[in-house]
Amino acid sequence: MIDLLRAEVLKLRSTRTALGLLIAAVAVSVIPAILQLSLAPAQTFREEGVAGMLGAGATVVPLLGLVFGILSMTNEYRHGTITYSYLVTPRRWQVIAGKLVVCFVVGVAVLALVGLLLYVTAAIGYRVRGLTLNVGSIAGDDPAETVALILLAAGLMASFGVGLGALFRNQPVTVAGTLIWALVVESIVFGLKPVVGQYLPFSALEQVVSGALRVGPENGVGLSRPEAFLVSLAYIALTSVAAVYLSMRRDVT
Amino acid sequence: MAVIDVEHLTKRFGKVLAVDDVSFSIQPGTITGFLGPNGAGKTTTLRMLVGLVRPTRGTARVLGGPYRDLARPWTRVGALLDASGFHPGRSGRNALRVVARASGIAETRVEEVLETVELTGAAKRAVKGYSSGMRQRLALACVLLGDPEVLLLDEPGNGLDPEGMRWLRTFLRQRTAEGKTVLVSSHVLSEVEQTVDEVLIISKGKLLAQGPIGELAAGAGAVVRCRTPQAERLEQLLLERGVAVNRLDAALAIRGPSAADVGQVALDHGIVLHELLTEQVSLEDLFLQIAGTRRPAE
Repeated sequence: MIDLLRAEVLKLRSTRTALGLLIAAVAVSVIPAILQLSLAPAQTFREEGVAGMLGAGATVVPLLGLVFGILSMTNEYRHGTITYSYLVTPRRWQVIAGKLVVCFVVGVAVLALVGLLLYVTAAIGYRVRGLTLNVGSIAGDDPAETVALILLAAGLMASFGVGLGALFRNQPVTVAGTLIWALVVESIVFGLKPVVGQYLPFSALEQVVSGALRVGPENGVGLSRPEAFLVSLAYIALTSVAAVYLSMRRDVT
Repeated sequence: MAVIDVEHLTKRFGKVLAVDDVSFSIQPGTITGFLGPNGAGKTTTLRMLVGLVRPTRGTARVLGGPYRDLARPWTRVGALLDASGFHPGRSGRNALRVVARASGIAETRVEEVLETVELTGAAKRAVKGYSSGMRQRLALACVLLGDPEVLLLDEPGNGLDPEGMRWLRTFLRQRTAEGKTVLVSSHVLSEVEQTVDEVLIISKGKLLAQGPIGELAAGAGAVVRCRTPQAERLEQLLLERGVAVNRLDAALAIRGPSAADVGQVALDHGIVLHELLTEQVSLEDLFLQIAGTRRPAE
């Protein structure tokens, strides 16, 4: 299994997909933060702090992780490399398990890096504008737990992508379908029927992040952080098991 | 013990019966040609051998058991099934390193096989910049990584130019000289004719024949070619003796009697012969004859 994980890491390092994810993650989180710090009135920062800025990063980056997870699996089918993957490792569950682990680590690592960059950006921006950065206002009573939960959610999102990729295999359909589901369908369901919407996969994952950062809705609707985390975990476990089950039965032609 | 043992292997894709009750075995140290036209079921059979396609019925064993039960299978069996199975953005060297790592093969082996297939100079380039012949050689390099004792090669000549084909023949002879067992599929019979010991002939999913080329050719019967200004008369005389004859102008192709028998008939009737020779049955003739006379049930 160690050999398989090392091979998966090399797969990431030897193409531009992982680098592209990192650049995209930095671009969609740090650049808006810089613009916000440069252009927004100082009053905004006094009232809202950096929660919105970090919250945006913590929400968008896991979505990119999700896409990355999908790509890492569907690329195997798209380019036919799945043939060698299954020839070298005929126990197919091991191939999928290896990807789940590696993409989880990548999801965590990318968000950790982006979070660090955002923090440094915020610290510099606040100092330049003569403001005081109060991280405690967003990190809650237990900052370590908050950070850990958010990072975990990012990793799980990337692993979720692997499961979805293995289930659906077609890259454009899976990426587009998943994003439309996550960003449109679930938002509509959550808006119309919050009691149902809160249990949907991406809403649950988002509730882990927003609950941790205290940037979510404050109207009493939604799951607690542990509940949201457990629901997310259940979805990912279910998807992974289904992916392994189907992958073991499908022909590679 | 047979290296490859296939029993009643059958695969149905929906309504299409791709492989129909195929059984054969391959002995160690032989090179076997797996011949048949496109769509005959060769690739599906090979994919079932290595567990990529699940048989509808029957069993396929490699080195004594199912492929998936082999420990570190890539060091025991090398399968070239899809020369395009490389990420286009990855370099040739990295494509091999990925496979080497996943199979627990030392990465020093990557350089050795690149050298073997003469791709060292292009190893840094992304696979998308490779010609089809280079991709084919990269796939062969991938197969050789684990120095396996069994090679399954599906249409290895695809995309190779004449020089590449010559290289492939040498490659295959070297492998058999090393005692490897090779099963090589092809629809281009001349590609394997000079190389294989035995052939499996498959058409429309059915295995039509298996055996050494010599035995099958003897069974098929040699063809006597004859050229005479009295071709029509000689044809008539041979037909009267129940011999199968094809005539095109002054040339006759005679199946059954030896050249001596044909010469005797001509002499007995004062027929002048300009040419008389026994033609060895080519693999292509053999294939066409077997596929033509033993048509599988539609």
